[in-house]
Amino acid sequence: MEKNESVHKPSLAYRLKKAVVGTALIAFGATFEKVSKKDEVIIEELKDWEEGLVLSLGVLPFGPAISMKKKDGYVKYLGRGYKEDPSLKILFKNVDSAFLAFTGQMGNHTAFAQHRALVHGSLIDGIKANRVMGLVQTYLLPGIVLNKIFKRPPKYTFKQLLLKGYLYLTFPITFSMNMWK
Amino acid sequence: MLPEYYEFLCPVKILSGLKALSNLTFEMELLGVKKALIVTDKGVSDAGLIKTVKKAFGGSKCEIGAIYDKTPPDSGTDIVNEVAKLFLDKKCDCFIAVGGGSSIDTAKCANMIVVEGTNDLMKFQGVERLTKPLKPFVVIPTTAGTGSEVTSAAVIYDRKNKTKLAFASGLLFPDIAILDPKMTVTMPPKITAATGMDALTHAVEAYYCLQKNPVSDAYAIAAIRLVFDSLLDSTLKPKDEKKRLAMLNASLLAGIAFSNSLVGVVHGIAHATGGVARVPHGIANSILLPFGMENNYDKAGDLIAELAPFMGATTTGSKLDQAKSAVAAVRELANELKAASGLPTKLSEAGVKKDQLEEIAKTAINDGSCTMNPEDITYEVALDIIKQAF
Repeated sequence: MEKNESVHKPSLAYRLKKAVVGTALIAFGATFEKVSKKDEVIIEELKDWEEGLVLSLGVLPFGPAISMKKKDGYVKYLGRGYKEDPSLKILFKNVDSAFLAFTGQMGNHTAFAQHRALVHGSLIDGIKANRVMGLVQTYLLPGIVLNKIFKRPPKYTFKQLLLKGYLYLTFPITFSMNMWK
Repeated sequence: MLPEYYEFLCPVKILSGLKALSNLTFEMELLGVKKALIVTDKGVSDAGLIKTVKKAFGGSKCEIGAIYDKTPPDSGTDIVNEVAKLFLDKKCDCFIAVGGGSSIDTAKCANMIVVEGTNDLMKFQGVERLTKPLKPFVVIPTTAGTGSEVTSAAVIYDRKNKTKLAFASGLLFPDIAILDPKMTVTMPPKITAATGMDALTHAVEAYYCLQKNPVSDAYAIAAIRLVFDSLLDSTLKPKDEKKRLAMLNASLLAGIAFSNSLVGVVHGIAHATGGVARVPHGIANSILLPFGMENNYDKAGDLIAELAPFMGATTTGSKLDQAKSAVAAVRELANELKAASGLPTKLSEAGVKKDQLEEIAKTAINDGSCTMNPEDITYEVALDIIKQAF
């Protein structure tokens, strides 16, 4: 995480949103690691990612962030903050924008369309990452939310539905194992 | 309908007119500069257009420090570094790009190197990564299509890593765009038609893609009206300076529109078609535009219908009928341009081979433009559009 040099004390609402976004980011990173080994569409997409690519998702200027790395064909969740000098960063300009995206109120494409998020690094890698992030979101968010924020509602195979159920059931364990990383 | 939130930026001063170039040195003095590096290409130079620019310096305190006229169509980091070195060696204080997208992007990137004091452009890839204002920068377009004179982006080929580097920043806008029809009258009919259709594609996609806003809409509509009024005439009568000026304005207006609202699947596939099959960007856009519009009937049919009156198309019937008539108007214009200049209307006529279609689709879905398309663009959807256009 970047050093916090903010001048004004943040409001309670800001701090609450920041906490929610921080929690959602950890859930996202941990879920990404799991589904990257099990979902065939994601596995196929990841073949197109450069091995060793480090991706960070974060909030500007001093908000929460997480980092992930493609390792041995899968995604490894590295933990909170900008780790291993990420070559690709997807950054939200402020906590409000990140809150909208991470609470299922806004799709990734809308966040980019409204200049709420930006890419530092290769734009092609950013597009690939954005597409896979959308696939990961289908495991995290309920169908009713996905239908609202996606251009087209996702279609699940039976195997994907089972995986989503399994991830929901084991979520508390997955989250607690990753929250201090 | 207003988007929940939008941003709009175009800080470029525009000089447009039959003798707009005469104001070049006056504007340089206003910017506080007097020694320019001209970045251009051999085609522009051979057409005598640099002589025209040189004449504009006559009787002023400003001078040309150097002319770089070796910019290739797909300029790379090696060229950019060469241009930046020339700028520093000749102690120039501003850039003047004379040409199309490649010369303009080369000047933008060389400017970045000079100001940021590095020759490693890799670390500036992405959005809003520049930290310092660039050197004064004037653009004199010699084609009417790219709109690069009013955009905040640049793309350059990294020869070392064999990849394209893309940059977007509010600091990349030129200071001044000079639209003088003298600079486009030598353009051959087929290039006039292709670049004009490129401008039309910018405007049409800007009007219905996800980042649209009421300000970009106004620019897009103004551009569409000018294209339908002047493109065929400027293709048929290349020396008609008024029509040439109208098309320069259409290109600029469309450039402002799409720089702020971005574009969609037509551009996504056109970029890929250029990369895989070397089809010029304007030609690819021209071929793909009607198919891209049709692909968006479901999500943006009402918006496409709103364009019909500005294209001289039928405005009766349902929204879908009107959207279809807008697409028919685009097809009719493309067919008229084909008859006038030989502009292809199918990818097969532009040299694309059947065995390249899948690679084009695979490349297209990694293009940022597809993200801003109203309809979801998967590999299958992209391939379907490409097959229709083949």
